[in-house]
Amino acid sequence: MTTTITRGLETTGLAKSFGGVHAVDNATVAFHHGKVNALIGPNGSGKTTFFNCVTGMIKPDAGSVSYRGEDITGRPPHRIARAGIGRSFQLCRVFPRMTVLENLLASVRSPTLPGWLRSARQRGDIERARELLMRVGIDHLEHAEARDLSYGQQKLLELAGVLMTDPETIMLDEPAGGVNPALLDRIANLVRALNAEGKTFLIVEHNMDLVMSLSDHVVVFDRGAPIAEGSPDEVRADPRVLEAYLGS
Amino acid sequence: MHSVSDPRPGRGRTAVRTARVVGLVALVALVAAFPSLAPDSFILSVGVVIASYAVLATSWNFVGGFTGYISLGHAAYSGLGGYATALLILRADVNPWLALALGGLIVAALAVPIGIASLRVRGASFVIVSIALVLILLLVFQSWGSFTGGSNGLRVPRPFGDDVLRPEQHERFFYLHAALLAVLLLCWWAIDRSRFGMGLKAIREDEDKAQSLGVPTFAYKLVVFVVSAFFTAIGGGMYALWFGYLDPIFQFSILVGSYMVLMSLLGGIRSLFGPLLGAVIVGYAMEFFKAQYGDTQAHLIAMGALLALVVLFMPDGIIPALGNLVNRFRPKAASIRELTAEELTVQREQQEVRG
Ligand SMILES: Nc1ncnc2c1ncn2[C@@H]1O[C@H](COP(=O)(O)OP(=O)(O)OP(=O)(O)O)[C@@H](O)[C@H]1O
Ligand SMILES: [Mg+2]
Repeated sequence: MTTTITRGLETTGLAKSFGGVHAVDNATVAFHHGKVNALIGPNGSGKTTFFNCVTGMIKPDAGSVSYRGEDITGRPPHRIARAGIGRSFQLCRVFPRMTVLENLLASVRSPTLPGWLRSARQRGDIERARELLMRVGIDHLEHAEARDLSYGQQKLLELAGVLMTDPETIMLDEPAGGVNPALLDRIANLVRALNAEGKTFLIVEHNMDLVMSLSDHVVVFDRGAPIAEGSPDEVRADPRVLEAYLGS
Repeated sequence: MHSVSDPRPGRGRTAVRTARVVGLVALVALVAAFPSLAPDSFILSVGVVIASYAVLATSWNFVGGFTGYISLGHAAYSGLGGYATALLILRADVNPWLALALGGLIVAALAVPIGIASLRVRGASFVIVSIALVLILLLVFQSWGSFTGGSNGLRVPRPFGDDVLRPEQHERFFYLHAALLAVLLLCWWAIDRSRFGMGLKAIREDEDKAQSLGVPTFAYKLVVFVVSAFFTAIGGGMYALWFGYLDPIFQFSILVGSYMVLMSLLGGIRSLFGPLLGAVIVGYAMEFFKAQYGDTQAHLIAMGALLALVVLFMPDGIIPALGNLVNRFRPKAASIRELTAEELTVQREQQEVRG
């Protein structure tokens, strides 16, 4: 019996330097489609830069990014979003002076020009937004301005905003950063549930307990390129990983 | 269409709506009655100047208010609109009103490449590019004397003929400006409530974030930029038809662009009527200073001081500041800050335990 692996997000020889710093250095990675992938590595190993290259926020110097077999290298971020890849930012980014509901409605776009002038408050969109807010647990804050939310609530709002675009693959840059343990559990549960519904995850995270409990596949970055990958247990046992974390 | 109006809670909702309608009716009545209330031709002409400023500031606010891109060089488009209108009448013998519309379209077409070039840069760079454009245009229109009239200026034929007397001219142009302003406000309002507008406001808040959520930021910015340039040009053309004379030094002046910014900031760039309110205050203040102290630079100092006060004490402008003041006296729903994430989780866990 052969198992066919759906091709998801892949990079080949991806590279990006800032001045003399090789932030991402010839990174060739294939993430497992339909799974929860973790991307770990010491501070400054290029994880965020890698995210930015993949999502089009930064143009890579070399290499390519493909998604489901299609080359998406150098496409502008909104087209990568449309291809089905959603992302969060390391230091949680929401639209501070919009309400929570508007934060989600801002993700709704019209493919046709006349649709641009449609009211942004379509009943269907509002209902969908409310469902997502309920799902992440901040539906009671619908009319609050995003800047008035606590950091944890903003993280949940950011996640709901990403979900509003209905992405197939969700990239989260440190979802647990600066978040209390109770909220951490909620985020972990959300990721599990969404994954069960078919969403692929790619999560950059420093919290090892979370990584080990959540992910199916772990990729370890050091100095801009993967040095090891495998199941959480395999990676934990890999001496190169220990060295990367301790030896730098 | 299944659109839902603002579902914000609160008992004062109908009261607010009524107050809005009353305010709007009062505004329209005031504008309609102004020419007959004005004691003399001079006051009437001040009314036209203020209406023109309101048109320009509201046009500016299509870019400034929605996207947060602060253009100090919008005089480029009002100036080009004025000259395009005048030159079409003078050199091609086009009907004045057709010339006005064509002038607007020509400027809109020019705004496409200008927008493509300048909207790539954000923040201070965008401001500098917008200023550079005005300075370039000033040089071009000053030195290309054979076509533009150069520094000697350009006389614009009056559309209503010379048999229409001055006060009558003022009155007609006051209403024309007011009608144009009404159209602008309607368009701004329509964009504000639309999906397009929501995307634009997302750009104002966080452009990278907006893009990561699928908003085609560049296309959105470009469209609203061209719309803004078009309306600014129509405003400039309308002014040229009324004033009857164009001089590059006044048309392509950083000062004119700065007024648009100052007026909008003063009234509030997030508010529909913000630029209009700002135009009335600044326009009136300027005329007052000119009448009081002659054509000195005193009014500039006063404007500078006003701008500083606004930025320091009302960074969002007058209308939001007033809104906050009103809200303070209204019964409030429970403060949202009271619930922290921890408390929420606790609440939820309790619910789960019970459920
Ligand atoms: N815009 C930038 N300009 C210059 N250098 C940068 C820039 N962004 C990242 N770098 C550098 O590139 C390297 C990789 O940074 P990056 O933020 O991608 O690492 P990271 O793995 O996400 O780290 P962390 O775990 O701390 O978030 C670092 O040395 C960083 O200083
Ligand atoms: Mg990082």
